[in-house]
Amino acid sequence: MGIKPNSENNSSTGDDIRLKSGREGLMGWLNPTRYGWERVSYWLQRLTGVGLLIYFIGHIYETSSLVNGINAWNSMLELTQTTGGHIFLLLVIGASTFHTVNGLRLIFTESGIGIGRPGRPDYPYDATSLNYKQKSGIWVALLLATIAMLYGGMVMFGDVT
Amino acid sequence: MPLLKLRESQIMKIHYLTGICAVFFVAIHILFRLIMPFGQSLEFHNVVANYHNIYYVILLELILVFISIHGFNGLRIILLELKQNQWWESTITILVLAAMIGVIAYGTRTIIIGSQL
Repeated sequence: MGIKPNSENNSSTGDDIRLKSGREGLMGWLNPTRYGWERVSYWLQRLTGVGLLIYFIGHIYETSSLVNGINAWNSMLELTQTTGGHIFLLLVIGASTFHTVNGLRLIFTESGIGIGRPGRPDYPYDATSLNYKQKSGIWVALLLATIAMLYGGMVMFGDVT
Repeated sequence: MPLLKLRESQIMKIHYLTGICAVFFVAIHILFRLIMPFGQSLEFHNVVANYHNIYYVILLELILVFISIHGFNGLRIILLELKQNQWWESTITILVLAAMIGVIAYGTRTIIIGSQL
């Protein structure tokens, strides 16, 4: 009876060794399984952040065509003011809205707001900090990102100004 | 010895402040695209007219600086989460600072030339 040592139960694979050493690297960073919505929010915050930084650099390059005169500017607009360009811009709107709202949640969290009081870790060991306020914040961020994308779509594809 | 003499907690305060300020400034920047039909607001003469407004020029420069600081520091944080040692930390900090200065310089050049068109 009793629990046998792990080595007797299973043969060690490369994944086991990697997990045991605590070094999952980038795959561990990206893996949303085994975790809740907080983990999804964690990597969405980082992915949207990196995406927005790439867009920001591209936007600065795109805008710099202004200094080369009207022809260079119009050529750049022909590349970006297309259906594909507008869809890309919609993704940027969604990413920036999520990043902003979730970022505000994180600022509040780091300030100790919305994480509740520390409690004794009882079974099933749910962390008090991962409460409904935090989850609501993530859902609000996703909802507002969707609304912003819908409004952006109406501005770019419709008559709304 | 850390490359920057700022504590990580101070850098995070700068990160949050630049982020919050950028939200307000970018909102104004977007409003400038919505005061007329979106496509029309992007016409060359309308954009150049924006660059002749000194307040808008200051706003653009602030957006450039704040988003560069916030964005490149965010990238630094992500890269430092992946690996930690003194060499990696110093290298990443130098590269990120260089990229940040480069982007600010390039964007400032556009703003200065654009305002003189």
